[in-house]
Amino acid sequence: MVKAEKIELERREPTPGSAWLIGAVAWFVPGAGHVMLKKWWRAALMGGAVWLCFFLGLAMGGHMFDLSTGQGSSTILQVPPMIANLGSGILYVVSWLLSIGFADDPERARLATYEYGNTFLLIAGLLNYLTMLDAFDIAAGRKP
Amino acid sequence: MRHFFVMTLFAALASVVFGSVAKETPNERVIYGVKVFAEFMVIGLVLSWILYFIP
Repeated sequence: MVKAEKIELERREPTPGSAWLIGAVAWFVPGAGHVMLKKWWRAALMGGAVWLCFFLGLAMGGHMFDLSTGQGSSTILQVPPMIANLGSGILYVVSWLLSIGFADDPERARLATYEYGNTFLLIAGLLNYLTMLDAFDIAAGRKP
Repeated sequence: MRHFFVMTLFAALASVVFGSVAKETPNERVIYGVKVFAEFMVIGLVLSWILYFIP
């Protein structure tokens, strides 16, 4: 199908409500959106990559961002990395509730893998946004 | 060695997701995933050598 025809088809057919629900579930629990769609391999690969990335980030001593200002930096500066971290859904929420990976701990910051950990945590969230969009597209019938 | 291992791990995880999201057929996805992985590794190594010579 030509791209223009695809766009026209999308314009005519409204997105089903279930696609929004699947998108929300896919964001909140990495991989769950594809499980709902019975795309087992995609769920295992994409969800697994996000979970693994997140826990490796924590194991490396990574730090997550919220709106509390740390070390004199502005709150606004915390927003972009916080949006990336928020992509991890329930992983971010549970960590925030349990204060895991949020404290400014000099011991963790001293680790050689600290910066890698930060990157892994940020990327876990961003990869989950991609996973969420993929699940949404499949549920909306825009992707096989 | 640890840095290289972490970079490899990062490239592998990211390329799994990129490969799964892109393209139409499973075969194309695998090829694309491998290509993305190779690009991450090559660009990472090139950048690290460039930075090595910068004091």
